[in-house]
Amino acid sequence: MNWRLSRFNVVALVFGFSFLYLPILLLVIYSFNASRLVTVWAGFSTVWYRELWNNAGLLDAAWVTLRVGVISAAVATILGTMAALALSRYGRFRGRTLMTGMVFAPLVMPEVITGLSLLLLFVAIDLDRGFLTITLAHITFTMCFVTVVVQSRLLSFDRSLEEAAMDLGATPFVTFFRVTLPLIWPAVAAGWMLAFTLSLDDLVIASFTTGPGATTLPMKIYSQVRLGVTPEINAVCTILIAIVATGVIVATLINKRRDVRRIRDEQMAAGR
Amino acid sequence: MAPMKSLGSIRRDFAPWSDRDAKPYILFDGVTKQFGEFKAVDDLTLTIYEGEFFALLGASGCGKSTLLRMLAGFEAPSRGNIVIDGEDLAGTPPYRRPVNMMFQSYALFPHMSVEKNVAFGLRQERMPRDQIAERVDQVLRLVKLENYASRRPDQLSGGQRQRVALARSLAKRPKVLLLDEPLGALDKKLREETQFELADLQHQLGTTFIMVTHDQEEAMTMADRIAVMDQGKIVQVATPEEIYEAPNSRFVADFVGNVNVLEAKVLRAEGGRMSLEAAAGFTIETVNAVDASPGQTVFYALRPEKLRISGEPLTGSNVVAGEVWDIAYFGHVTSFRIKLDSGEIMKVAMINATRVSPLQLTWHDRAWLQFDDDAGLVLTR
Ligand SMILES: Nc1ncnc2c1ncn2[C@@H]1O[C@H](COP(=O)(O)OP(=O)(O)OP(=O)(O)O)[C@@H](O)[C@H]1O
Ligand SMILES: [Mg+2]
Repeated sequence: MNWRLSRFNVVALVFGFSFLYLPILLLVIYSFNASRLVTVWAGFSTVWYRELWNNAGLLDAAWVTLRVGVISAAVATILGTMAALALSRYGRFRGRTLMTGMVFAPLVMPEVITGLSLLLLFVAIDLDRGFLTITLAHITFTMCFVTVVVQSRLLSFDRSLEEAAMDLGATPFVTFFRVTLPLIWPAVAAGWMLAFTLSLDDLVIASFTTGPGATTLPMKIYSQVRLGVTPEINAVCTILIAIVATGVIVATLINKRRDVRRIRDEQMAAGR
Repeated sequence: MAPMKSLGSIRRDFAPWSDRDAKPYILFDGVTKQFGEFKAVDDLTLTIYEGEFFALLGASGCGKSTLLRMLAGFEAPSRGNIVIDGEDLAGTPPYRRPVNMMFQSYALFPHMSVEKNVAFGLRQERMPRDQIAERVDQVLRLVKLENYASRRPDQLSGGQRQRVALARSLAKRPKVLLLDEPLGALDKKLREETQFELADLQHQLGTTFIMVTHDQEEAMTMADRIAVMDQGKIVQVATPEEIYEAPNSRFVADFVGNVNVLEAKVLRAEGGRMSLEAAAGFTIETVNAVDASPGQTVFYALRPEKLRISGEPLTGSNVVAGEVWDIAYFGHVTSFRIKLDSGEIMKVAMINATRVSPLQLTWHDRAWLQFDDDAGLVLTR
């Protein structure tokens, strides 16, 4: 195999990456534009970031988004981890395939449908729409992502470790917190990160399930853009990109460490 | 069959299995374990006595680990009961059984130091801290790892990990200790030392040991009794001497030690004596008669060391001649393979009792073999 980059490969690479990142790059650049006009470059400035600080509407929305993200990611991580444990532990119970399928279906379900069905449910049970309903909706749709991440870790988990703990007198509860969780926590943390990031940039489901006084940042941005793009929006989007990118990178790093560690564990389990 | 008391050369005073009044400590009663259609353990009945050192011997995949796992509570029997100390264990979870197990895969907790691994079970008992430290120190010294207490399992060699696993299972001083190939990864010297320490410990604490091993020598030297397993069933349970000198089948005779198995037809059977016509073309006289009628095909099992070899023609009964096919010198014994005139190979082991042997043989010499009339066993299966 020839690993040298041919001219064609270089062109393909540049083109592909431009396609992906040029729009984002533009947005980041224009967030530092001194001019109020979005399409005219008038020199570097951080004025819009300062303006942002005084924009109570955007700051409120950011605060709501952050709280929804942290709370829903935490609950989704607990529920998703429990589902992953159930799915990987009870070897072959009746309806296992069905349950696996049902847990993973929301991954590919169109968001519009998820949002609409949740809205119908909240209306049906007469739950006032607002912060609570958005959080519940986000728990629902991020939970299955956590399950996928944690379950893939549990597949390679050596169950004899849990057996050894119980053999030494640890109840299933102690076994989980002293042995299982410390070993799978990187996957759990990565799952949390993923859920948080997903919640942060969700527009569709939040729009369906929101109510008065609970506007998330993506909703706020979307509604403002309809009145015209302002450099402030560019600034807030740049900050969002930074947060999401950090989240994704941290999750990847955690996963990488997990893999290295898992290989070590496996070699050890094999007794070499 | 031979009278049991005369077998081997050790007098064993601990023998609850031959005492009718002794109460079994562990009882497997008609236990079957099925994985789908496959029977890993098949209608197995077994009694083990308190303070016994019991060894399970058998080929890979014959169900030894499954048997231990059922006793430890990780697998539920498909049928039958397991009783410890008069108490049926069905429904008792692993963490409430008076049993500790050393896993074949070690199963050390990778996120804890050696010390924490060993202390894990004691902390579950809520033992006071200073006592835990003392006990951990004691068992680590036993397995010669006192200088490794703060290491993590991935910083240890295979043999060291095995010793940590052993220490961890010993730490709680359980009533019953299950050892799944406990010494497999140790070098010969350390293995012998640990065998000795284990035997010593067992005497001190009166723990009942059940040990799985592939090493028949280990089973012979350490165990009070040995069970030989094959395909989920127990073929024979007996003391090491009985297993060796009075195997109940060709399988056991062949599995433990070296043996020559000769196919033969019964010529006569009377007054405790038997005459057999070996397929190899000579007559066997034996005092170890079994219930078999003239004309029936049986097997005569003869251990190599119970044959005498000579370079001169021998007279009398139980003599057979052949050609020296192969010789191997082991120091304390010399092992010959003699090709009989009928083409069969007989293994012969000669003890080197003197430095200069009166017998001088080389490849392709003619040799004569002779054995006593109680040297071998007649087996019908
Ligand atoms: N969970 C399981 N599901 C299906 N089959 C199993 C399971 N556990 C064990 N077996 C089968 O049962 C048989 C006995 O397994 P076991 O582990 O008891 O063997 P073993 O005697 O300990 O072998 P070894 O000496 O190699 O450790 C094997 O054929 C194995 O494939
Ligand atoms: Mg095994």
